[in-house]
Amino acid sequence: MRNPDQWSSLFWLLAGLGITLGSLKYGFGTLQAPGAGFITFFAGMLLSLLAVVFFFSSLKRDEKLHKGVEILWEGPEAHKVIFVLILLVAYTLILKHLGFLISTFGLLCLLFRVKATYHLMKVILMSLLITSGAYLLFQVWLKVQLPRGILEGII
Amino acid sequence: MDIFDHIFFGFGVAFQPVNLLFCFTGVLIGTLVGVLPGLGPVAAISLLLPATFHAPPVASIIMLSGIYYGAMYGGSTTSILVNIPGEAASVVTCFDGYQMARRGRAGPALGMAAFASFIAGTLGVIGLAFLAPPLAAIALKFGPPEYFSLMVLGLTVLTFLAGGSMLKSLMMASIGVIIGNVGLDLITAQPRFTFGLSILLDGVGLVPLVMGLFGISEVLLNVEQRLSEREVFKTVLKGLLPTLRDWKESIGPLLRGSILGFFLGILPGGGAVISSFVSYGLEKRLSKHPEEFGKGAIAGVAGPESANNSATAGAFIPLLTLGLPSNAVMAILLGALMIYGMPPGPKLISSHPQLFWGVISSMYIGNIMLLILNLPLIGLWVKILKIPYPILFPLILLFCLIGAYSLNNNPAEIGLMLFFGLLGYLMKKFKYDGAPLVLAMVLGPLMDQSLRQSLLMSGGSGMIFFTRPICLVIFVVIGLILLLSVLPLIGRMRKTMDEMKEV
Repeated sequence: MRNPDQWSSLFWLLAGLGITLGSLKYGFGTLQAPGAGFITFFAGMLLSLLAVVFFFSSLKRDEKLHKGVEILWEGPEAHKVIFVLILLVAYTLILKHLGFLISTFGLLCLLFRVKATYHLMKVILMSLLITSGAYLLFQVWLKVQLPRGILEGII
Repeated sequence: MDIFDHIFFGFGVAFQPVNLLFCFTGVLIGTLVGVLPGLGPVAAISLLLPATFHAPPVASIIMLSGIYYGAMYGGSTTSILVNIPGEAASVVTCFDGYQMARRGRAGPALGMAAFASFIAGTLGVIGLAFLAPPLAAIALKFGPPEYFSLMVLGLTVLTFLAGGSMLKSLMMASIGVIIGNVGLDLITAQPRFTFGLSILLDGVGLVPLVMGLFGISEVLLNVEQRLSEREVFKTVLKGLLPTLRDWKESIGPLLRGSILGFFLGILPGGGAVISSFVSYGLEKRLSKHPEEFGKGAIAGVAGPESANNSATAGAFIPLLTLGLPSNAVMAILLGALMIYGMPPGPKLISSHPQLFWGVISSMYIGNIMLLILNLPLIGLWVKILKIPYPILFPLILLFCLIGAYSLNNNPAEIGLMLFFGLLGYLMKKFKYDGAPLVLAMVLGPLMDQSLRQSLLMSGGSGMIFFTRPICLVIFVVIGLILLLSVLPLIGRMRKTMDEMKEV
């Protein structure tokens, strides 16, 4: 398949069928007393139907595009997207344990190096300033309960 | 009380110091996000939504509204000076605004954009104040079948008017309805599509969804591109006030743009983007010198800028009177109003007059603030434009992370936001629009509720939607819209089938 629309329509077809079947599990009910899966059943059916129509309507454009899922990595620095995503997932996992200050400082140090090569001291200084600024704004001023992690009892 | 008493009451609310402060903060942030390419009002409002949970509801809505119309003002600055639209509604301003700047007329272009925005924004607010109350009175007669029909119409019009493929928009709307119904069923208390995750029992949060779809995904998309230097005009900005000739050429487009934008703003999916394009097309057609459009015609700045600003006021009408959002920003505001315990709808004006009239009056004050902010502070906005993206994007990500976490002090909310961030990134890659998904997601539970209530009312007969006059009219309109969009598709499919047979 040399067309991204065909890949995406297949994905939505599978998703739509899954949702339709899942809705039956929650109970379609009757027209007099619709069940919990009533509206999601119809939405899933509609999604599947539209995906099929879209698949066939995209067949015509097949020869013109000459690229399928390749569009996912066609960006000149696509590998950086994966790196940023890994950093964000890691941040989510360690936030409670290490606390806001340490996790955010570490994250910012790494993020500042993604798109530019700033001097290490500049990166550390910027990360330090922004982390403390964000802490003051959200924790002290807006009273958001940011996790303290291993610094619990110290700050 | 007549309408003027209501407006005076609204000014009383809007002039309270706390509301003035929030209004100023809103328009300031709005201008800032409008100026910064890659961060639109949808992302900015969703980023700030969690922070407003600790603030008074009226002040919060005043601020969030300020971000919306403020972004329309700010967006013109980057369009004129850098040829990069700060947000989608300012794309058209690039055509002639940038050309004016290249000819050394950046000042009058920026000045006219600000004045057009101010005048149109003001006219839009007046229209909103006069049109919303009678519409709300009519909406009081609506029952569940009428509401369901209206929501289906809203989604249909949105997908019809949305840019790109209507099929893709319809698919997004279907997914939005499904996502909106994740969580405990209101009637049977049965969990739906929660996959055993306790975070999903209350449904998918609007904030992580929009922050992911519009904030995170935009950052990811920019991260994969090589950075190019933004070329900002180095000429000294002088003569911001347009000349008498400029005014003569602009006054017609400005007034037409204001009226057109206001009514297009009311339509679901119409909004600021479409109205600016329609206004540009209209002015080009009406102009005695259409050949000047695209080469620096001031009418090409005044028309679209007025249209996109009055559209923001028009967009509030369906939200505040019917409780139905007409675009993604309004969908977030709907979610915010529900969180604050002020569900929008026909009763909003009578049950929360301080909110309705206060927000309308604050919009007028906000427009004056924007005029003051935009003209003398243009130099500052130009400096902000020069913030390098390698420094800007970690800040945007940090705001998203804190915003998601602060919802329930739960890192799982960040996980949910990242999931939608990845989904939004893939959607952008495969050219799917996120707006129908957000709108349908917000309307999803309301649709489920009104559909089931309608069927209960009719004893299971779907004919209830065709026997009630308002529903019938709405469904006829839906049918016509679908027919209009399906006819060319059928033609194309038939042609494809023929070609395949030949092969």
